[in-house]
Amino acid sequence: MASMAREALFARTLVELADTLVADFDVVELLTLLTDRCVDVLDVGAAGLMLVAPEGDLRVMASSSDAMRVLELYELQAQEGPCLDCYRTGVPVVNQNLADVNGRWPRFAPEALAAGFSSVHALPMRLRGTIIGALNLFNVEPGVMRPADIDAAQALADVATIAVLQHRAALEAQVLNEQLHHALNSRIVIEQAKGMVAEREGLDMEQAFAALRGHARNHNLRLADVARDIISGALPSSSLDRNLGTRRS
Amino acid sequence: MAGERRRRVLARLARGVDPEPKRLCQVCAEVTGMSGAGIMLMSGDSPEGSICTTNDVSALIEELQYELGEGPCVDAYRQDRPVLEPDLARPRTPRWIAFTGPAVDAGVRAVFGFPLQVGAVRLGALNLYRDQPGPLTDDQHADALVVADVAAQAVLVLQANAPPGMLAAELAEGGNFQYVVHQAAGMVAAQLDVGVGQALVRLRAHAFGNELTLAEVAVDVVMRRLRFGDRSDEKDPLP
Repeated sequence: MASMAREALFARTLVELADTLVADFDVVELLTLLTDRCVDVLDVGAAGLMLVAPEGDLRVMASSSDAMRVLELYELQAQEGPCLDCYRTGVPVVNQNLADVNGRWPRFAPEALAAGFSSVHALPMRLRGTIIGALNLFNVEPGVMRPADIDAAQALADVATIAVLQHRAALEAQVLNEQLHHALNSRIVIEQAKGMVAEREGLDMEQAFAALRGHARNHNLRLADVARDIISGALPSSSLDRNLGTRRS
Repeated sequence: MAGERRRRVLARLARGVDPEPKRLCQVCAEVTGMSGAGIMLMSGDSPEGSICTTNDVSALIEELQYELGEGPCVDAYRQDRPVLEPDLARPRTPRWIAFTGPAVDAGVRAVFGFPLQVGAVRLGALNLYRDQPGPLTDDQHADALVVADVAAQAVLVLQANAPPGMLAAELAEGGNFQYVVHQAAGMVAAQLDVGVGQALVRLRAHAFGNELTLAEVAVDVVMRRLRFGDRSDEKDPLP
């Protein structure tokens, strides 16, 4: 067993994943890369990854093969299997011999055996108290996973956890930043429209603002939209409702 | 190491009475041992305004960059990396042709820009200045990276509490978003019957040509002391 080569591959995988995390990354792409690397590094037949959705149910996020994907979907449908057990308990499920699970998974075990797998493992994706999903590993050859390999698998699951959490934080930051700039931009457009209305209608800034706001309220429009229409010329300033903006003498 | 720096910055922020952006800028200057600091929001390629400055000089640094579209913050944001000018009066390679003179006249001797970002999301830049020339020490540089990071997070946290479509009150109140300039642009657009973008260019040109700040010209327009005629010029203020 070329354990030196495996170790080097494992180290390279961690570096590769860490590199991917730095830039603007696609989380599904990263998790797919991770399941592929699990197969290379851990000597397993297939790997898959499930994440808990905001609604609280698990979803299949990445699989190293189609057979794996189908099995994971089946696991979710049957509501039984290693990934679900691992997610529910937060404890690793390792070295479960499918021929010998004694009715633990009466529906899942026969399907997995039929797909050609002989043993299964699942490791929790956990950060402090929260479990966000699980990494599933399926073996074709019978036999047990060595403790060192289980540790390595958990390390890869941990990297996946960090990736997912970082992605969620980045998405949130993106949304907030867009809101920030959108709000700033709306404000700028309103100021420009105030100036334009003030000039065209001989109003001061407060009166111009009152005219814009009055028009928006009367027509059930957003102030920023009225302002944009003024700027673009779609709404002539002379057609603003004048009852709220009193003309300067 | 970075964790320790972060803890120190957060501890200083927590000591402030109110977590307003002004305090954020003060902490940025204190932690890095600079004369002043300012935080500028940017979008696209241009400055949108400033959410805080610690003193008149840092306010001027922000305003010059807003007006001229060049300077350490603009570069830090565009290039996505710290931009360091340890000797603004005698730079090794001259840059920021329009920015440098007025900044040096105001007493700026060293100026540094750090991008404000959360992951791949870019918000703007932090500017730090000192009234003495000289490079940042390794510690100051590391501290600046941490304060820029904390400041970026803080801006987003403040904005997270804002009503939809609105700028968070904390960001709006202490900031300078050059509203008068935009009002003036609207007025000049109407006077010249041009777009607001072009009106802004005319305002900038007038400011540059008359050695005034953009804000000064804008106030003159809004106060109706200056009117842009369609013929030539902006050189004819109304009596």
